[in-house]
Amino acid sequence: MLSRVAERLYWMSRYIERAENTARLLNVYSLLMLDLPRGVGVHWRQLIEITGAHDIFNSSYRSDGEPSVLRFMAGDRNNPSSLITTLTLARENVRTTRDQIPSDAWKTINELYLFAKRRLASPNFRKNIHHILSEVIALCQQTTGLLAGTMSHGPGYQFVRIGRNIERADMTTRIIDVGSATLIAEGNERERLANRLWMNILHALSAHQMYRQNVRRRIRRDNVIQYLIQDTRFPRSVAHTLLQLEKCTEQLPNYEATLQSILRLKAIVNEADVVGLADETLHQFIDDLQVEFAEVHKVMNSTWFSPN
Amino acid sequence: MRIDWNQYDPGEFYDELISTPGDPRTASKSLAEYLGSLNDQELNRRQRAAELAIEEMGITFTVYSEGENIDRSWPFDIIPRVIPNREWRRLEEGLIQRLTALNMFIDDLYNEQKIVKAKVFPASLLQSSDNFLRQCVGAKPRYQVWAHICGTDLVRDKDGTMYVLEDNLRVPSGVSYMIENRSITKRVFPELFRRRTIVPVDDYPAHLFDMLAALSPRELDYPEIVVLTPGIYNSAYFEHAFIAQQMGAELVEGADLMVDRDDCVYMHTIDGPQRVDVVYRRINDDFLDPEAFRKESKLGVAGLHRAWLAGNVALANAPGAGVADDKVVYTFVPEIIKFYLDQSPIIPNVPSFRCMYKKEREHVLDNLQDLVIKPANESGGYGMLVGPASTATQRKRFANLIKQNPRNYIAQPVLSLSTAPTLCAGRVEPRHLDLRPFILQAQHSYVTAGGLTRVALRKGSLVVNSSQGGGSKDTWIIETPNS
Repeated sequence: MLSRVAERLYWMSRYIERAENTARLLNVYSLLMLDLPRGVGVHWRQLIEITGAHDIFNSSYRSDGEPSVLRFMAGDRNNPSSLITTLTLARENVRTTRDQIPSDAWKTINELYLFAKRRLASPNFRKNIHHILSEVIALCQQTTGLLAGTMSHGPGYQFVRIGRNIERADMTTRIIDVGSATLIAEGNERERLANRLWMNILHALSAHQMYRQNVRRRIRRDNVIQYLIQDTRFPRSVAHTLLQLEKCTEQLPNYEATLQSILRLKAIVNEADVVGLADETLHQFIDDLQVEFAEVHKVMNSTWFSPN
Repeated sequence: MRIDWNQYDPGEFYDELISTPGDPRTASKSLAEYLGSLNDQELNRRQRAAELAIEEMGITFTVYSEGENIDRSWPFDIIPRVIPNREWRRLEEGLIQRLTALNMFIDDLYNEQKIVKAKVFPASLLQSSDNFLRQCVGAKPRYQVWAHICGTDLVRDKDGTMYVLEDNLRVPSGVSYMIENRSITKRVFPELFRRRTIVPVDDYPAHLFDMLAALSPRELDYPEIVVLTPGIYNSAYFEHAFIAQQMGAELVEGADLMVDRDDCVYMHTIDGPQRVDVVYRRINDDFLDPEAFRKESKLGVAGLHRAWLAGNVALANAPGAGVADDKVVYTFVPEIIKFYLDQSPIIPNVPSFRCMYKKEREHVLDNLQDLVIKPANESGGYGMLVGPASTATQRKRFANLIKQNPRNYIAQPVLSLSTAPTLCAGRVEPRHLDLRPFILQAQHSYVTAGGLTRVALRKGSLVVNSSQGGGSKDTWIIETPNS
């Protein structure tokens, strides 16, 4: 398999996963904002901070209310992490590896892009937001399913899985980080709001139901954090993505260095004591994880994508 | 309202489907009847279905310098163009004859130059040819074949005669659209395929693969074949990807390949460097290898030409094959066929004036308003003057161009290109078209069943290039009772 092709498959997969997660996040945020009273410290602006695009946002939008943030995150091509940009990049990566991808999967990605282009920037976007985002999520999942079901599970597919899992871990950590934002409230009120916030974080990762089934406790901050970081069975928890990365890597040539960096990260995740972390410390821990994931990417890059 | 063939009038032109209003040609009879049985709504519904399929399947072409929106849907007309099998078999023979002679010609030019010594082909023309590459002199590609893949443009004049308009021997494109056009037509008119024998077109990639494999310098069961593309911004990128996918070959860009000290070509893979045997290159000669040709090329592979000369890799088409893809050389093809094969051409050339000869040049300069002026080395319909549609200023500019560089221009009468019924804004109207069959040659020859029919979608227009408002049609080679 060509190094360039491996790299593009990896990025295609990351962008598809990123699009799905972004759509999920926008969906949940819309619901969350309906649930929380104003002025408690949870704000639309945090969505921009999660994706790290505040500079571009600040330079082109005056208000940071719902309409601006939604427009920026959905259909704004100037935003490198908007849905439309992400889907455009996904499609470009497939377009340049079309010969490697089952044609049904290409058709779905193309369809997804065309749908997004028509609907995300349309004036009716906010009115139909739930429907449109659900459709984006469904088409992303359809793509993932088609690749799993019709693409040969050789090296190319391992790069698809690696991309998906790295992106998942990245988004899960970003979303947990939302929870580290300080809530402006006191006593019982504060706890009530916090629980609601963490419940929505579970929803954002489609983890609510699985959490209830597996943790069998009411939704509390520490348990949620522990579940999303250390549970090895939930597909979007960090520990699970690391197991997947380990398995995929072992099937590729010259995997030793990459595997080592994954195992190191795995040890950090497994050994971390995440119960009772202060918001500040949680934020720092998440930051550290993201740096480690970036390191894994770097090793992969020098092993498979650009060996020279 | 239904199509009424009595109302369809191609006028003075030869129409591919209808001979006179109300009277379809034998091979198109059942197609015309079928189309006549559909009401307008039904017909337009099918056209929309075709357009939707094209968008969904991502069949696109790219237009140069359009900024952001570079990827356009392929314009397609659902009404097929029909050619009777008997006529096609004759054309097939003619195309193989032509390419065989052209390959002998190219091989001769780079080796003994018998045709120049015999004064059949002027030495001055060779010396002034931009496409004659000194770097290739003395090279001996396998089977003495240089142009392995050729796209020859055919046009039909008023009286029904098919002419060769030009031979594209460098990196001809369009074959993927020929195949996709068929798969769209099958989706849109499945019932038509049940009733008659339409010769399939989708065996092309298999023939292409076999031809390329036969060029491999190493005797291997599975030689490594790659398609070398300039990348996603090339107008034919879709086709490069399509062909690679259909053949199961790697689609590579210049940066994916390297030539090592052993003069062999390798590609960068996740397992390390891997040897490449055959490169189907879709990059022009100029950009192929910065070491041998244009130094600033970032698309090519340094050392590729050296590896080819050493016989360690096959290039299709061979560098330098473009020497025969020159509109002035074109005018010599009848002589070339005579010289190498001692035959007369089965398919005639369009009568042409060569501005390099004084008498012909004077005739051209006196009759610019009636002629089509073509530069020797442009393709895609660029740099042409269509006399009857030109302004006095344009004619003056071309007169100067011709005087400055007579060798670079030929002139031809304006052909009355044939027409075929085409769906235009919901109505069926005649539109002009041409045909580009593709010919493969190595130890054997192969011709596609039909080819790519390109149609000028604007009323009265003769320009069929997709970069300039042209579309395309499916092309049917059909068995008729008397064929």
